[in-house]
Amino acid sequence: MSLSEASGRLVAEEEPRPVVTLRSSEFRRGREQGWRDLEALVAKAEQRGIGALGVGELQRLPQLYRAALSSLSVARSIALDRNLLQYLDNLSLRAFLMVYGPRQSLAEGARDFVARGFPAAVRAARIEILLAFLAILAGTLAGFLLTIGDEAWLTALIPDSMASGRGVHSTRQELLDDEIFAPWPGFARSFVVFANFLFQHNTIIGIMTFGLGIAAGAPTILLLAYQGLVFGAFIGLHYDRGLTLDFLGWVSMHGVTEFGAIILCGAGGLVVARSILFPGRFSRVENLAANGQMAARLAVGAVAMFFIAGILEGGLRQLVANTDARLSISALTMILWGCYFCFAGRGARR
Amino acid sequence: MSVTQDRVDQLLGGVPRSLREIVTPEGVALHVELAEHGERAAAFAIDLAIWLGVAFFSWLVVFAFVVETRAIGIVVTLVLFIGFFVRNLYFIYFELAWQGSTPGKRINRLRVIDRAGGPLTPGAVIARNLTREVEVFLPLGIVLTAGAGGLADAVLGLWLLLLAAMPLFNRDRMRGGDFIAGTIVIALPKRLLLADLAEQSARYVFTNAQLAAYGAFELQVLEELLRKPRNYETTQALDGVCDRICKKIGWTGAVPKARAVEFLTEFYTAERAYLEREQLYGRARADKNATPG
Repeated sequence: MSLSEASGRLVAEEEPRPVVTLRSSEFRRGREQGWRDLEALVAKAEQRGIGALGVGELQRLPQLYRAALSSLSVARSIALDRNLLQYLDNLSLRAFLMVYGPRQSLAEGARDFVARGFPAAVRAARIEILLAFLAILAGTLAGFLLTIGDEAWLTALIPDSMASGRGVHSTRQELLDDEIFAPWPGFARSFVVFANFLFQHNTIIGIMTFGLGIAAGAPTILLLAYQGLVFGAFIGLHYDRGLTLDFLGWVSMHGVTEFGAIILCGAGGLVVARSILFPGRFSRVENLAANGQMAARLAVGAVAMFFIAGILEGGLRQLVANTDARLSISALTMILWGCYFCFAGRGARR
Repeated sequence: MSVTQDRVDQLLGGVPRSLREIVTPEGVALHVELAEHGERAAAFAIDLAIWLGVAFFSWLVVFAFVVETRAIGIVVTLVLFIGFFVRNLYFIYFELAWQGSTPGKRINRLRVIDRAGGPLTPGAVIARNLTREVEVFLPLGIVLTAGAGGLADAVLGLWLLLLAAMPLFNRDRMRGGDFIAGTIVIALPKRLLLADLAEQSARYVFTNAQLAAYGAFELQVLEELLRKPRNYETTQALDGVCDRICKKIGWTGAVPKARAVEFLTEFYTAERAYLEREQLYGRARADKNATPG
């Protein structure tokens, strides 16, 4: 280009036109085919899932992705073509999401979760579990002491939906016949008990206990203590009628698993609350992201435990009509859960 | 993450998108566009409709099956049971299988991604969807069953509604589940690679002094204008731009109206060649007001 003239000029028709070479255009011509190939692969995978790609295509995908990333880096330093920069940014992002997308299917994830993720999360949240346990224990003690002091508390503490006819008026014989050693109501009725209690009550309570951890944990502690209060009130009711051991046998068949699950949900909520209240070296948001997934693992595991507790409650409990046998089964479930949480998946660290 | 908005889009009145940056494991920063509240609501409404449809269909099947055996108690239970299951598995299954999108998100071209640029883990997907139960379905249930409740219910409802409205109160538009899982929801449009505007040869020759009048921002505004489909309005705009540029750089020759686009394309080419060369020598210039280097 001529630099001599101050105002620029128009090249006359007969003169040879000066050739303009842009490095960014040269760069684009050399690499464009690779980008187009990557775009086609990504579009195919976006349309029909990553499974639609063949073996050769799957091998090419990360290579082309890295090439596109390097193109983007180069383009950012040498090119001012806005469309090109935006295209490469967008293409790299789409390929990035394809290459680093979730790799596990639901089944693999579930297997990994049971074998490793869940017990590891439980072990990592020891302190929160202890706190949740103490909250429930405090509630139970309070409920128990209040009830044996004055049975009028029963109506206040136990909602009608849970009382199912039990209350101040219940006699020892009624409790024995209709509750503790009631006959097994048959498959259909037990299913209703199972599903109702599992999904209308326990799981919702559990998930609420977990989810409300985001409100700094106070609702979580309150909910836990409230569960304890109800439980303690029931113990008090049976204590007054000399049925403590029978009731404990009856309730602990599923209660060990169920309370374990509630405690885990609560612990999950407390993990979330801790990240918010005591962020430490990192910001609250970073802390939440780091710990939230562990907390969610606790909650998901707890939902599975509610499921098992529901089966024990609806199916097995009334079939075993003997307090000693019930207590041994409870002890067994406690030992099994303890072993699972303490030892499962310790070797297989990723 | 830096909070930026595209200056060129802002100037030309495009849809203002909030941009965030994520850094890939390879160490390259990529720009992502945050999803708008409306898009997310639309996606959720679609998912909700699908959930209701599937659940309703299953309910019908169950109902038909159980009415035969006359056990109405079981029907109610099964209805709740299936609804709960479908709802929770639906979101988790799709976000795992479809790389962070559900049918509703896919229609709206939205994706869930890890906020820091890492892989989206199953744990994150489960965490953000379990929280949905507390954030969305619980308030929904309370609002739907409200009415006879007293002050306590009103306060609880309000509080839960605030929880559900969390995306409105933070700049990354995260809901509670996004906080817990460390995710954000982005819009992922498909961008096309258009033909290069730069010419191979030039009829108009500009001096370096003339080209130094502008920076990268003005260049890219010009590019956007040149890429717009030609109609009366854009042609008018281009004519105006052509006059302004001629005045600014002191172009002495007249540029006929019919040649305005040609002139601008060549000016764009020369300007880009000049600015790219300067940038290579470490004298990048963001806009006309910036001092080079």
